[in-house]
Amino acid sequence: MKEIRKRNGEVVPFDESKIYNAIYAANKAVKDEPMVSIDFEYLTKKVCAAIPENDCTVERVQDIVESMLIRYDYEKTAKAYILYRAEHAKIREAESDLMNIYNELTYSESKDADLKRENANIDGDTAMGTMLKYGSEGAKYFVDNYVLPKDIAKAHINGDIHIHDKDFYMLTETCCQIDLIKLFENGFCTGHGYLRTPQSIMSYASLACIAIQANQNEMHGGQSVPNFDYAMAPGVAKTFVKEYFDALAQSIALKQGMAYDEALDIAKKISKEVPKPTISNAPAYGQELERWYDEALDHYGVERDALVSGHKNAAKTAYIKTDKATYQAMEALVHNLNTMNSRAGAQVPFSSVNYGTDTSAEGRMVVRNLLLATDAGMGNGETPIFPVQIFKVKEGLNYNSGDPNYDLFKLAIRTSAKRLFPNFSFIDAPFNLPFYKPGDYNTEVAYMGCRTRVMANHHDPSKAVTCGRGNLSFTSINLPRLGIEAHRDLEVFYKKLDEMMELVSRQLLHRFKIQCSKKGKNYPFLMGQGVWIDSDKLGPEDSVAEVLKHGTLSIGFIGLAETLKTLTGKHHGESEQARKLGLEIVTHMREFCDKKSEETGLNFTLLATPAEGLSGRFVRIDKKKYGIIPGVTDREYYTNSFHIPVYYPISAFTKIEIEAPYHALTNAGHISYVELDGDTCKNPQAFEEIIRCMKENGIGYGSVNHPVDRDPVCGYTGVIDDVCPRCGRRAGEPVSIERLNELRKKYPNMPVPCDCNH
Amino acid sequence: MNTQVKNINGQVGEGMDFERIRRITGYLVGTLDRFNDAKRAEVEDRVKHGLSKNGTLTH
Repeated sequence: MKEIRKRNGEVVPFDESKIYNAIYAANKAVKDEPMVSIDFEYLTKKVCAAIPENDCTVERVQDIVESMLIRYDYEKTAKAYILYRAEHAKIREAESDLMNIYNELTYSESKDADLKRENANIDGDTAMGTMLKYGSEGAKYFVDNYVLPKDIAKAHINGDIHIHDKDFYMLTETCCQIDLIKLFENGFCTGHGYLRTPQSIMSYASLACIAIQANQNEMHGGQSVPNFDYAMAPGVAKTFVKEYFDALAQSIALKQGMAYDEALDIAKKISKEVPKPTISNAPAYGQELERWYDEALDHYGVERDALVSGHKNAAKTAYIKTDKATYQAMEALVHNLNTMNSRAGAQVPFSSVNYGTDTSAEGRMVVRNLLLATDAGMGNGETPIFPVQIFKVKEGLNYNSGDPNYDLFKLAIRTSAKRLFPNFSFIDAPFNLPFYKPGDYNTEVAYMGCRTRVMANHHDPSKAVTCGRGNLSFTSINLPRLGIEAHRDLEVFYKKLDEMMELVSRQLLHRFKIQCSKKGKNYPFLMGQGVWIDSDKLGPEDSVAEVLKHGTLSIGFIGLAETLKTLTGKHHGESEQARKLGLEIVTHMREFCDKKSEETGLNFTLLATPAEGLSGRFVRIDKKKYGIIPGVTDREYYTNSFHIPVYYPISAFTKIEIEAPYHALTNAGHISYVELDGDTCKNPQAFEEIIRCMKENGIGYGSVNHPVDRDPVCGYTGVIDDVCPRCGRRAGEPVSIERLNELRKKYPNMPVPCDCNH
Repeated sequence: MNTQVKNINGQVGEGMDFERIRRITGYLVGTLDRFNDAKRAEVEDRVKHGLSKNGTLTH
């Protein structure tokens, strides 16, 4: 006698008539696929024969019914049956799920509730963090049950696919590369007042933060500045001019015994006659001043030698002051981006800045000071976690000794070795280089901090640019499951993969259609201020459909390593055969995306999904479904995209070599990591060697991970095993104030404890 | 970003953990406490990569 395990865990005797009735009901729901009782009996018998003797679940029985209906060509009945199952799953959920979720959100602490730690940068314990979760969980529920086509909802719920940011399905797009140069040109409006074109590096940096924050509130992903150095450079130039004439006035006032205000008026007049001193033209500017003096009829009361010596002093002073102001501006930017709120206060904006290619003195000053401010850390020396910084590596600009920004590349390496940022992107990668036009930042590839990349533009090849574009939405495929179900049969695997990619494309287009139904007024900043490409032509009532086509629709995947395990027994770190197959699979996926782009005229791209919440979700479901499969479902996570598994010992260089070809294939975005121990990381040569190895192998975007620990008590930053190397305490242990005061003599920047002995 | 340390009866830091900053999915997270269970497990599994040049594939 067979037994069936019900959903609530209860084991009951198997009842054949239930199968009969279910098939009967499904068939009655369709019109033109008549079945008679002998058919029902035959199918019921087939299903019963296929049911295993032991420990069979209701879900498994239903799977068998589904596959029998399909096998015997009752296609429409099968479809009705699938709908019936989905409908019932929905009802079961409606009774409990959402309210259970609210219950958990309300009464559990985030340390006990995984649900509240889905995204590590949202504090699930705060009021607004919880409020955001109520909204998000309610929205997901609504989308699953009332918006998505049933088979797609089912594919998501059962873990075939993962629709990212599903809570925003009805609302907006993922991310955007913001061109601050364009935005600042005529000033902008955040909805509560107009902000004029900024006039100093300090205001350039603050407005950059405001723009990032404003845009973050209209999109569900991160925000990135693709040209940070180019965009801040005019601010530096303006500050320099101001400081120059200020110093010139001081100098003239001193020399001629004049009041400072009077001297400043004169300096302003001279600035109209001989405009624009810059950091790099100082000597030439001095000569021009002298020429002006010798030719001019009115010298505004200035003596020649006061002007000449004034210039020398002004050039020097202005440089020092501008450099200092730039440092303060970058320090403020880092502080702002780690503290300012977005989304009802639950998060800071997910911000990224790309830089490193502007060779102007002003752009270089920005980057140097941003790196120095990052190196110094936050108020108590903490490592800043935003913005994600991306140093754009380019031969001829910063890669080799002799390149104008090579010093900045070196500084970037030193900073990254201490603070984990910047990451490194590579314009010379064979898939990035064809777009590059020297001096045009819009053609330099830029990454959204986490990995997203836009460059090619199938919709409009004349706009294969970075600025104003981003990802519209992305959905990932559970690749290991396809591997498990293929049972080592590659033909079956590819067939399943194609079906799944087809389903995901359909879903992305379904979402795209919703996105296209929005109007300019739905995005007062993104579209209203012309941040998104071509949106400056849109009015508040105009549809955004056309301009959205510049964005990307991305199909992602995780767990290539586990997939290869299922198909070959080894992953791509372990065998040449797996390595070859891995590339074949991902090439196949890329070709599918290219073909979809051709078919639709849209930008379908392939994403190397890093998967934060997802890494655990797929494997949790698969563990239930297939049990523990060694090397596949035996850990708590599936491996990030095409990465070699994190637990697998391999040399950094081999890892880079194996992962690099996937960067060329995953045109929606990718990142490779190397993990270094604390000591190796302190060796700048070793660090640089890794970055160079990435570049030479054609990696698009990479970074080096190393442990950055910090003791909040004494402020020590570095590797802490069990005992803090500075103050000697273990986690949780106190240190005496005397000991800390003693240490402070040696380390003056230690955090100052507040005195709580009242 | 983190809590201010307090001097309580001449002792500082009672009950305070070390901060451990790690990179997940491209961005940094201030402390492991906020990681979800799967990512925490992944971070714990990570091994360091050596710098030997002859790291050929094992078959």
